[in-house]
Amino acid sequence: MTITEEPLALGSGVTFAQRPLGVLTRPQAQGGWKDWVSTVDHKKIGIMYGVAAMFFFVVGGLEALLIRTQLAFPDQGFISADLYNQIFTMHGVTMVFLFIMPLAAAFANYLIPLQIGARDVAFPRLNALSFWVWLSGAIFLNTSWIVGGGGANCGWFCYSPNSGIVFSPTHGVDFYAVGLLITGIASLVSAVNLIVTCLNMRAPGMDLMRMPVLTWMLLVTQFLLAFALPVITVALLLLLFDRTFDSQFFDPDAGADPLLWQHLFWIFGHPEVYIIILPSFGIISEIIPTFSRKPIFGYTAMVFSGIAIGFMGWGVWAHHMFVSGIGPISVAAFSMATMFIAVPTGVKILNWLTTMWGGKLHFTTAMLFATGTVAMFTIGGLSGVTHSLAPADTQQTDTYYIVAHFHYVIFGGGVLGLFGGAYFWWPKVFGHFLNEKRGKINFWLMLIGFNLTFGPMHVLGLQGMSRRIDTYSAGYGFEFWNLMATIGSYLIAISVVVFFYNVWKSKKEAVDLPPPGPDPWDARSLEWSIPSPTPEHNFDELPQVESFDHWWFQKYDIDDEGKVVRIANTDDVAQDGSATDVHLPSPSYWPLVLAIGLPLIGYGIIFNLWLCVLGGLLTGGAIYAWVLEPVDDPDAGHGHDDHHDEAAELAAVASGAGSDNEGEG
Amino acid sequence: MRSRRNLSGLVVLLGLLLAGCASDAELDTLKPQSETARQIDDLLDPVLAIAGVVLVLVCGAVAWLGWKNRVASYEGDDDFPEQMAHNNTLEILMTGVPAIIMVVVAVMTLTTHLDINSYDDANAMPVVVEGESTNWEPKIVVVGNQWWWEFRYYFSEDVTAESLGSDMKNLPPADIVTSGQIIIPTGQEVELLVTSRDVIHSFWIPALNGKRDARPGFFAPWKIEADNPGVYFGQCTEFCGLSHARMRMQTIAMTSNDFQAWVDQQMQPAAEATGEAVLRGQEAFVTNCSGCHLVDGLNGSEDISAPVQSGAAPNLTHFASRTTFAGGILSTYNDDGTFNRDDVSRWLREPEVVKDNAANDLPDGTLPRGMPNLGLSERTISDLVAYLETLGPRPTDEIIADSEVE
Repeated sequence: MTITEEPLALGSGVTFAQRPLGVLTRPQAQGGWKDWVSTVDHKKIGIMYGVAAMFFFVVGGLEALLIRTQLAFPDQGFISADLYNQIFTMHGVTMVFLFIMPLAAAFANYLIPLQIGARDVAFPRLNALSFWVWLSGAIFLNTSWIVGGGGANCGWFCYSPNSGIVFSPTHGVDFYAVGLLITGIASLVSAVNLIVTCLNMRAPGMDLMRMPVLTWMLLVTQFLLAFALPVITVALLLLLFDRTFDSQFFDPDAGADPLLWQHLFWIFGHPEVYIIILPSFGIISEIIPTFSRKPIFGYTAMVFSGIAIGFMGWGVWAHHMFVSGIGPISVAAFSMATMFIAVPTGVKILNWLTTMWGGKLHFTTAMLFATGTVAMFTIGGLSGVTHSLAPADTQQTDTYYIVAHFHYVIFGGGVLGLFGGAYFWWPKVFGHFLNEKRGKINFWLMLIGFNLTFGPMHVLGLQGMSRRIDTYSAGYGFEFWNLMATIGSYLIAISVVVFFYNVWKSKKEAVDLPPPGPDPWDARSLEWSIPSPTPEHNFDELPQVESFDHWWFQKYDIDDEGKVVRIANTDDVAQDGSATDVHLPSPSYWPLVLAIGLPLIGYGIIFNLWLCVLGGLLTGGAIYAWVLEPVDDPDAGHGHDDHHDEAAELAAVASGAGSDNEGEG
Repeated sequence: MRSRRNLSGLVVLLGLLLAGCASDAELDTLKPQSETARQIDDLLDPVLAIAGVVLVLVCGAVAWLGWKNRVASYEGDDDFPEQMAHNNTLEILMTGVPAIIMVVVAVMTLTTHLDINSYDDANAMPVVVEGESTNWEPKIVVVGNQWWWEFRYYFSEDVTAESLGSDMKNLPPADIVTSGQIIIPTGQEVELLVTSRDVIHSFWIPALNGKRDARPGFFAPWKIEADNPGVYFGQCTEFCGLSHARMRMQTIAMTSNDFQAWVDQQMQPAAEATGEAVLRGQEAFVTNCSGCHLVDGLNGSEDISAPVQSGAAPNLTHFASRTTFAGGILSTYNDDGTFNRDDVSRWLREPEVVKDNAANDLPDGTLPRGMPNLGLSERTISDLVAYLETLGPRPTDEIIADSEVE
């Protein structure tokens, strides 16, 4: 099954003129920067997501270091209160929207098509659009430091009325609202694209209940995105209207109730937590079986607990508002719902442990990160249970105990898992390993630094240290643990430096090392059946999937006594990537052009409405050009001999393919 | 091997964490001083214990499995472990046991939650106000402002959210209006009606109860009580802008006799000014301060509608009867019990340096938030300090000492 090469076929069989207006052609992928800015290849887009996300990880990390430096000692004036408020706001916004979400998107883009046996996502140009729109929104958000009079200063949750024009008169909040609207478009488009990909692009035989756990968790994540983002979009628009046009949705002086913002924000905000955490759950569900030499325990339970978390995640948002003054019955209901979301989460933890039970555990760097994720997430999950006790939460909320909790969840459960994923799939993506020794230094420094930073925050919170305070006074018992946390944060920074050094050095060393081969970890899912790095066309032939862990069963079988016997050498059953007749979607510049128009509209709303016209023309023009450009370039191939084996494709369809790829996005 | 070391490190860290909780901290959430705070603590403690057990079991399992099942490499090893992919009994247990634990926790939580959110309607106490004995159902209106707290006492009527109306900037006149320190009688459940005049704040005295958000346009019901006389510390916990970190409050609990005495003196108008410097200070107050701050008996007796964003500034009638000022961050009295002329002067001289605010150099059409720098001369400042010192009466030495952070 490949992407069809027919120029957009109309029902009647009439096709568009090959070159509308005589000018629009599809660019050619020939390497170099033009290749990257015009690519629609899910793998290149995944890599760009990863690189950009790591850039913003550094930005958000530097913001974190500034916060921790300010809080190292009591009564410090290292940074002003105003700047501190901007920095902690932008730290949260950056880490959530510009680091973890796009890094998860990197894995989703790169791996979903490979894990389900597809040549690309359902809508390749839309995929490129998602990335460029996200990047333009991310850059836009950060330009508020330069042209907006500073970053947003209202916290990532940006509660009304403090976010209103009266209390936050600089443009920071405008940039927050518009920036998140833009990145929201990216996530929404991407969610639709990946949902369709998972549902329609699966290789023959790849039933839903044969999809790897990672793909499943990513699919649940995309559904959460698709339903959560519209809510925050509404909220952000109302906020923007309030600030720009005095619309008074949230203005208490005009009779509005600012509680509305809290509901809207957290109806998005709580599913967002699972949007952050589920991809990591998926990643470690691939790593732990591989390095235990066992299948994931309780695959069905794993999938359904993920889905259950996805559903229940919609019914717990008001646990962020236990002290807001909502009625006691509401509080009780959300308290109960929050407790019971611990059940499917607990199932996951126990399933990972049972997978390790009786296994042969090989502690590669990826496995260290994965097991570290299990342990650290457990701590975050358990402190989460203590917040679900609504009365206890009235003591804990808005203290450092909460800061400790969600960093154990997001960093311990999310970031550690994503780093594990990086070490695991690095050879598949780049064709060489990340050095294991440096990787282990990276892991231990990060784990120790992480616990030293966020462990003490439990104590600080229980001792009554409020969140979001730019300094604290001596004498409240906060001094020692704040200093420890600051030292820990610098350890994390060092561990990240070790990671980047490892990336650089491992690439240099790779020339002298044997290539990793298609399946260096003796792993289980389809991406390991093809060469490393992944060839541009992914699969020479699409696999005919016969079971869960199909690839593993190409190498091994289980005999009548339940013993595993090798039935084939990896190299004999792996694909060699030599196919040359594969048709691939053509590159396009229009996603990038469209994406450039959006921040211009944003600047227009904030500074001068004429800029909106310019941005609108760019965006609108790009949409027209997108529609009008030919589906294929009539005069050129795509770096391959572009012969398309229609007979084989039809045969594949006839044999019960789970997918039918109709054109491209 | 490494995994195990990792986890023993964790256990050590956990021990350190618990040890850290034992240190002296004025805002400690684990040292309840009231019935409500004890109920919360009694709910949390067993859950923390359960969580601790689960933590040790899970992390212990990771460590133990990591140690026991580790192999150095798969090189040349084609001997696979048993391929257990599922086990129905185990999976039902793995869902059922957490669910049962959560049901137990849920029942405990519901009981405490409903208890804490019920209010004692039969707790009226006699208070003599201006010579007349009234039956006061202890209820205090708590109003957040950027960045200070106001406390309003209504003895003559039973105030409710309805009777107070919805315009927080024009609340009905109260018998006593004070700020920074809320005074309550001990052993009495005191109901609070928590609101705000600008952004959302959160009222929190950890030793006495959890927190409650102060939201403009809404009176959130809450309550506090204290077993014993003393000073209990608090801090605004909902991010409220620039000086969120510098918005503190205290609860001072007094025996009912002391409380009555406090009510008596607060009901008095401000002290008569005598002496040259004090009279000059009073004049300077009328010139510079009376547009925002009320001194009952000097520039009126009704709340002043101040030209600031929240529409209010602290009532200074009994400024020197309070041991903190400037939103609870500065002490009115020195350690030796003398009036803190230095800090009061500093506050009058450069308030924006003492406490970040948005009160000077404002864009057109915006009102100040916080105390503006009035460009007062040193002479005027000195006179004002002399005047403010007379706005007592001076609190007891014990309260002065207890309201200091050690």
